[in-house]
Amino acid sequence: MVVELKDAAKFTGIFIISCCAVFVCTLFLNFNMDMAGIRDEIAPGPVTVFYEAQVSSGKMISYVSGGCLLLTSVIMLFFYIKHYIDSHRKELGILKALGYSDFKIARGFWVFGFSVLVGTGVGFGGAFLLMPRFYRVMNEENILPDIAVQFHFSLLVCLVLIPAASFSALAVLYGCRKLGSPVLTLLSGKQGGIFKIRRQKKSGRKNLSFLQDLRQSTARSRISLVFFIGFASFCYSSMMQMTFGMDELASPMFTAIIFVIGIVLSFTTLLLSVTTVVDSNTKTIAMMRVFGYSQKDCRKAILDGYRPVAYTGFAIGTAYQYGLVKGMVSIIFKDVPEVPDYTFNWQALFITLLSFAVVYECMMLCYSVRIKNISLKEIMLERV
Amino acid sequence: MIRACDLFKSYGSADNPFPVLRGISLDIEDGEFAVILGASGSGKSTLLNVLSGLETPDQGDVYYEEKKITGLSESELTRFRREQVGFIFQQYYLLPHMNVDKNVKMGADLSGNKDYREVIEAVGLGDKLEKLPGELSGGEQQRVSVARALAKKPRVLFLDEPTGALDEATGRLVLDYICRLQKMYHFTVVMVTHNQNIAQMAHKVILMNSGKIRDLYRNDTQKTAYEIGW
Repeated sequence: MVVELKDAAKFTGIFIISCCAVFVCTLFLNFNMDMAGIRDEIAPGPVTVFYEAQVSSGKMISYVSGGCLLLTSVIMLFFYIKHYIDSHRKELGILKALGYSDFKIARGFWVFGFSVLVGTGVGFGGAFLLMPRFYRVMNEENILPDIAVQFHFSLLVCLVLIPAASFSALAVLYGCRKLGSPVLTLLSGKQGGIFKIRRQKKSGRKNLSFLQDLRQSTARSRISLVFFIGFASFCYSSMMQMTFGMDELASPMFTAIIFVIGIVLSFTTLLLSVTTVVDSNTKTIAMMRVFGYSQKDCRKAILDGYRPVAYTGFAIGTAYQYGLVKGMVSIIFKDVPEVPDYTFNWQALFITLLSFAVVYECMMLCYSVRIKNISLKEIMLERV
Repeated sequence: MIRACDLFKSYGSADNPFPVLRGISLDIEDGEFAVILGASGSGKSTLLNVLSGLETPDQGDVYYEEKKITGLSESELTRFRREQVGFIFQQYYLLPHMNVDKNVKMGADLSGNKDYREVIEAVGLGDKLEKLPGELSGGEQQRVSVARALAKKPRVLFLDEPTGALDEATGRLVLDYICRLQKMYHFTVVMVTHNQNIAQMAHKVILMNSGKIRDLYRNDTQKTAYEIGW
């Protein structure tokens, strides 16, 4: 087998994202399905309005967060498969040269779906552990009749088994497609996949220094990493501000869930992305150090190009959370009495931005130390 | 002048050290072409690393003129490399997403060399400024790495098996460029190779075996890259 089960362990990002997605979706969808059982017991009037609001908000949260996280998981899956193929080009080339078909090699990629299975399984199980408390909080004022937690097999199928199977199939198909390179291209180890080498535009870039040029080209040559770093900041910004801004609209438990998911999701994505940036630039960094560029120069050239992306992601996250909560309040809770008006929370923005800046810059500082520790000998000892 | 005094270097653990350099002492004069010759595992690349400040010896010192570089801090060594030395490796190590011009600029920017394109012209790649490394042959890539190293105007050029990945014709071409550029810019060359024929191009030959200098001699006349055997 080309890909072994231990390789699936590298998919920590997908594991965490799928875990978060299924956790949130299971909580709200299971609650909705259980609420459907008490629909007939509810008399028309304010209770029905509350009921409908609960159902709508549950659906919206599940679809928005689930859809967003699903999309991210798929992009991350593609990213990792491309990364795997690029870092194993020679071995895969040898297999192809020996006569293995693309499908025969790619079918081993099914194990990448295993990380989704584990992630969704943990998310699903975790949601059931928290569910009794979640139900109590969601119906804290006993507006609705008692809702008992029930297990819905269809949810297990839809949220755990189908995603895992789909991701496995997707991994095999995508792997098959990416392995289409000619044998000699794979054997030569030339990059043609994940980090496509883009020709620089001639116009307007003549006067850039080498470091400015490298900063731009490093960021531009890794579009998927740009996405992930932007996404991490987006998650942090939107979820933290929601946590601070929704204290009057949602229960402490709900905001705590958003807070924890926001932290885990953004940090994992950011850590994995920046680690990949540094790892994939090890040779460039080593070469720069050999030539006499300082640690600061290396950090600026390799990492600073992503800073605008991170802060742009933060800005989009701010707008997104405001639009989402405002939309929820004005559409879903429009008939619910005594729902406070939702206004932009500048204090939440300030606190979130400050904490983001501190965390982001500290992380870059840590990676700067890692850059410093890249051994110059790595490049000197390498031979054909 | 580069002066190495009684260099010792071992790899492996403290319990089980593997000695690579065992008491190396030598002098290399300014503007000299020195070749370090030896079989695989003789310690020649480690000696090059120590002489260039990429590695620190366990014992012994390296001097550039009167300045001792062993014992310098990491940032001082970085400044030393930036101001004094250039490197050329067997595997070129060009930046794949940057064209010839930008790759050479990597070296040029360190010394504020605005006329770095002269060097690109000198290695015969003036018409390939916009080409990416992947679009060049092995010989052309090595010439880019020569231009990159020289664009920073080094006082000493260190070369680690610069022709190791090249065929004979291309290898001769690259060596010829290096020799011609040395005459033009008067830098010192320290080259590691296992090709004994290349030693005939050098002023000084340092023959290494098992971490020691087995022989050290000067050539009365230097042959050109096209006069030596291969």
